[in-house]
Amino acid sequence: MGWFKAMTISLVIDTATSRTIVGVVNNGIAVFEEFHEGATDHGKAISELVAKALKATAIPDEVVIGMGPGPFTGLRVGITFAQSFALARSIPWIGVCSLDAIRIDSTTNDLGTDEYTVAIDARRKQMYWASYKAGVRIKGPSVDKPEDIEQFITNVFPDVTKLVELGSTQNVREPFYLRSPDAIPTAERT
Amino acid sequence: MEPLVLGIETSCDETAIGIVRGRTLLANEIASSVDEHARFGGVVPEIAARAHLEAMLPSIERAVKTANISLRDIDAVAVTAGPGLIGALLVGVASASGLAQGLGRPLYGVNHLASHISVDYLTHSDPLEPVIALLVSGGHSSLLQVDDITGSITKLGATMDDAAGEAFDKIARIMGVGFPGGPAIDALAKTGSATAIDFPRGLTTSNDWQTRPFDFSFSGLKTAVARYLESTPDYVRGDVAASFQEAVVDVLLLKALAACKQTGINSLVIAGGVAANSRLRHLAEQRCEKVGIQLRIPAPALCTDNGAMVAALGSLLVSAGRAPAANAFDADSSLPVTSINLR
Ligand SMILES: [Zn+2]
Repeated sequence: MGWFKAMTISLVIDTATSRTIVGVVNNGIAVFEEFHEGATDHGKAISELVAKALKATAIPDEVVIGMGPGPFTGLRVGITFAQSFALARSIPWIGVCSLDAIRIDSTTNDLGTDEYTVAIDARRKQMYWASYKAGVRIKGPSVDKPEDIEQFITNVFPDVTKLVELGSTQNVREPFYLRSPDAIPTAERT
Repeated sequence: MEPLVLGIETSCDETAIGIVRGRTLLANEIASSVDEHARFGGVVPEIAARAHLEAMLPSIERAVKTANISLRDIDAVAVTAGPGLIGALLVGVASASGLAQGLGRPLYGVNHLASHISVDYLTHSDPLEPVIALLVSGGHSSLLQVDDITGSITKLGATMDDAAGEAFDKIARIMGVGFPGGPAIDALAKTGSATAIDFPRGLTTSNDWQTRPFDFSFSGLKTAVARYLESTPDYVRGDVAASFQEAVVDVLLLKALAACKQTGINSLVIAGGVAANSRLRHLAEQRCEKVGIQLRIPAPALCTDNGAMVAALGSLLVSAGRAPAANAFDADSSLPVTSINLR
């Protein structure tokens, strides 16, 4: 286990899926880990969960953020909360790919292979997906219709210790949107 | 020591951060995505939301630098909780919430419309209330009675259809003079005559004065201008812009002054993006002076959406001893103006 930085306490935030996931990882071990289920609840949930995490654990010295891909609105809520928190504390934030943090153990499930594809809801009848071999991403992340994606594992979620683990090799600075914005203007200016 | 408050505004296409100490403005940073929306002729919510996330941290850092403070010195964080575009509001609220928790400071979720009015406190130190507020922007045209900016705002009337700023945008689009329409029409109007064409004034019949004295309607005016342009191939652009603008401004002031008269309140504040319109400012001064109404209009840069107004309202709430928001709250895209401070 040489991948973690010595004596680092990471506040971990991921809102790429229908879950608002908050964790505190101390030297590779999750000392706080909670999630709230609800695809439109990220805004309220994140604030409540982080408050709870801060009460329960030591002061974090970095923030690890799942940068998606994921439905835009919820994803942005997590990222902007996490970045602002880091700014307020004068601590660094490290962005990682949320799909990479989904832990699939090929020895304990019936895949029988070290190659697999994971997929999460992307709305509009599409999925965000990526393929892995021996734990390394070999395809994606991409967004497609389920029928166009090879056999995939779904209803899986990022893991807080894996998110921190990824932080030693990744430093993603922009969210994975993977789709252009819908260009529908509104007259709703205030 | 007066409270040091940071305000975040993301209800539309401006990522705006303001910092005030009491009623003193220290920083007012604005990053706008308006250029990215121009080719669509209106604000694209997803483009705005992406731009907010991108601009948020750099804007906060710039504001802190301009104000020459440290983030740790902030006493409270205030953020626009609504009304506005929901995806855009959520970025601001999440950022404010992350800042407040990171700093261990209270968070105030404030009303965008009340913020527009409260920005006046950064220019004038004498009490504002009670005051009639004419709030005119791209999303709203309202007449309000403000008895206490931190606790009591009553709605007297509002637009039945388009907002005043929206009417400017739509006419600008028909005439092909660009987006946003307000500044474009304002500039074009200076080249024409305000009395050249007699465009209709909405909701000003004697029956309207009986039944909806403080409501507005601009859709009939928009139709009238469109019809005039169609039926007058050799129209004079400046005359159309000036006459259209006059019809909007005239009816806004007629109703605002009628509200002052009926309530017996002899001061008027005009706020919101349309309050930056030069003709509205000029005519308001003339008419208010004539009937002895004290008039206040914030500087043009403080009329359009900005973070200083959010910080200003936050500061007033702190000073008035109003309670901050709960740890977590939802942005509300249609937050009514009577809800000044989210709990
Ligand atoms: Zn506004």
